[in-house]
Amino acid sequence: MHGAQDMEGTNSAFVFEGNWRDFAKIAFPNLLLTIVTLGIYRFWATARERRYLWSRTRFVDEHLEWAGTGMELFLGFLMVFVLFGIPYVFLTFIAQALVARGYEALGVGLTFVALTAIFYLLGVARFRGLRYRLSRTRWRGIRGGSDDGGFLFGLSYMWKTIAGWIPLGLLIPWSMTSLWNERWNAMSFGPFRFESNAAAGGVFVRFLLFYLAPFVLFVGGMIMAGMGMLAGYGIGGEDGMRVGGVVGILGLVLFFYLGLGLIAVAFYAKFYREVVGATRWRDLHFSFEASTLDWVKLLVVDAVLVVFTFGIGLIFLSYRHWKFFMTHLEAGGEILLDELTQSETRTAKHGEGLLDAFDMGAI
Amino acid sequence: MAKACSMPSTWARSDPMGEAFEVAAEWYDGINAVRHSGELSWDGCGAFMLDGPTDRQSFAATDLRFGETRPGKIVYRRDSVPDFRLILPEDIPPGLAVRLPAKSEYGAWVDRLGLGKAVAIFGVVSAAAVALFMTAPDWLGPRIPASWERNIGEAMVGDFGGRICHTPEGDAALAKLLAKVDPAEEKVRAGIANMGMVNAVALPGGQVLLFDGLVQQAESPEELAGVLAHEVGHVRERHVMTALLRQFGLSILLAGADSSVTNGVFGLASMGYSRDAEREADDYARARMADSNISPLGAAGFFERMSEEYGDSADAPALAGWLASHPSSGERAEAYRDAADGDARYTPVLTPEEFAALKSMCEEDPDVETFDLF
Repeated sequence: MHGAQDMEGTNSAFVFEGNWRDFAKIAFPNLLLTIVTLGIYRFWATARERRYLWSRTRFVDEHLEWAGTGMELFLGFLMVFVLFGIPYVFLTFIAQALVARGYEALGVGLTFVALTAIFYLLGVARFRGLRYRLSRTRWRGIRGGSDDGGFLFGLSYMWKTIAGWIPLGLLIPWSMTSLWNERWNAMSFGPFRFESNAAAGGVFVRFLLFYLAPFVLFVGGMIMAGMGMLAGYGIGGEDGMRVGGVVGILGLVLFFYLGLGLIAVAFYAKFYREVVGATRWRDLHFSFEASTLDWVKLLVVDAVLVVFTFGIGLIFLSYRHWKFFMTHLEAGGEILLDELTQSETRTAKHGEGLLDAFDMGAI
Repeated sequence: MAKACSMPSTWARSDPMGEAFEVAAEWYDGINAVRHSGELSWDGCGAFMLDGPTDRQSFAATDLRFGETRPGKIVYRRDSVPDFRLILPEDIPPGLAVRLPAKSEYGAWVDRLGLGKAVAIFGVVSAAAVALFMTAPDWLGPRIPASWERNIGEAMVGDFGGRICHTPEGDAALAKLLAKVDPAEEKVRAGIANMGMVNAVALPGGQVLLFDGLVQQAESPEELAGVLAHEVGHVRERHVMTALLRQFGLSILLAGADSSVTNGVFGLASMGYSRDAEREADDYARARMADSNISPLGAAGFFERMSEEYGDSADAPALAGWLASHPSSGERAEAYRDAADGDARYTPVLTPEEFAALKSMCEEDPDVETFDLF
């Protein structure tokens, strides 16, 4: 097993070997335990799920391993609760008391400070969430991580997000790709850093759909509404026309929302192809091959699964999303196993508390 | 089992029992990504040996920890070398299997108890916790010393930012009104707040505020007496503390169940009285009005107007967090109307001059602050 692992010629570097029946044996007891512990077990449930998903994912010739524990996720949660939750309650309490005493401006100002702090912590959380996941992922006993605490990234996140929105949102593709680069460039696996140089240009055209589409959709919708009215008139005269018009307008609204959702999916599909494709690690290059249609299928089946099981299907979403991610993720290049030594990055003893608090995914 | 521990080099293979204590193994040393393969064997006195062409090591059995299972394989770790990984086949010879650490599935507690037992125990504990959290405010609230509650109220609103209206005539009229609905020796503190909302609140610490908007709405002093009596009822029945505690307990429960701390935090900012509390406050109000020979028809008329104006489900959102508002409904109007005694000759609660003094109180107070936020 010494020497180089050459990825060319094999079918896919990442292979997911799990199945939903095995996952169900983990997810249902998890759900039960989470309910009877009033939610406290969810940290251990998350660790169990990840252990399963990671261990059923093969990268080249060895399975991944999730080394995180439920206890550290729980500690992370407690830490966030004490460090940020309680001060936040305190701050809002003071803000309300100030407003009640007649210092409205001060109270509003304090609330603004609290919200700004949350905005900042959101960025820090995204960074630390990714760092946590890399540091708990093992492949051949080697892990990833970062020595950066993400506190500067939090500032970048703030100003780049705001700057992205100011020119009518036109710089959002830039802020998204540049934040991706900044985050991944700070991460490493084993002794080597990730490198990412995603460019906004690649996703900009897709992003313009957001501006163009409302017009197209509106005109299309108007035509549909008009046709609905005409059809209604044909069937039932004046009254029919009114009914047809209402149906047409309903169609227009639906069309509008679905259309906008579709554009968002199309943009994100392109975005992930671009940014993953621009990410490298040593001599490895990555790619993500999910098309817009793949994403639509994922989301539609997600929705159907959740709705038709009265919400119980929610427990399978993490499985579906991981499988989707691993199925479409590809890597090519070469790894020299001898030079792949252990990561020297520090590891935090606590889990992704912040990220958990804000309920976001890491990638 | 009695092996010579002093001869580690002659273990396994030379022993006829060796087969039962040996298994093919793969391992990573946690230092680099190179995979080692060879055999794992038990030395007979507390240590494992790994032997392969590329690596050879031995370590105490107590150092080994269960990691996870994979299809057909079990992964072990070592406490002293965090990233060391030992991968063994699932079917381990029994002699070796008993030396290896036990599998863990759900987490230490659940593994020890077994899933069924753990679910039952956690379920009972959780149900007890929920029951405690839900009922505690009802018995704990009234037992919180009034002085504590006053301090809490003081911290929350202070003097309400100088927005309480005062004129000598108005204060006298309000004091007269209060005396009739609050017979206790130590009166609640009542005031008319310079805010346009049609609302009244009972704050922590025995402070009752009628908003000027409500005073302007009132067509008779009896209406104001009804509303004031209702709020005094909340104070006397210790509803305010109960509602505060309930909200606090709920937010703690939510923080456990929900993944977002923020949700729990926002839960804290919305407080309301239970339906029972509203009914109790109404009962209190009707009893005091009957004692003082005040007609309940005024309050009935007020609630009727409110239900016409704002609809029956006028559970208007709280003004700001703990300043909870009051729902008014046709049903309540009816209860007040039913309380009226057809034969009784009610005396007017205030003179027309006193009522007018209340109405013009905020307008005529030159020092009162306005509420600019809303």
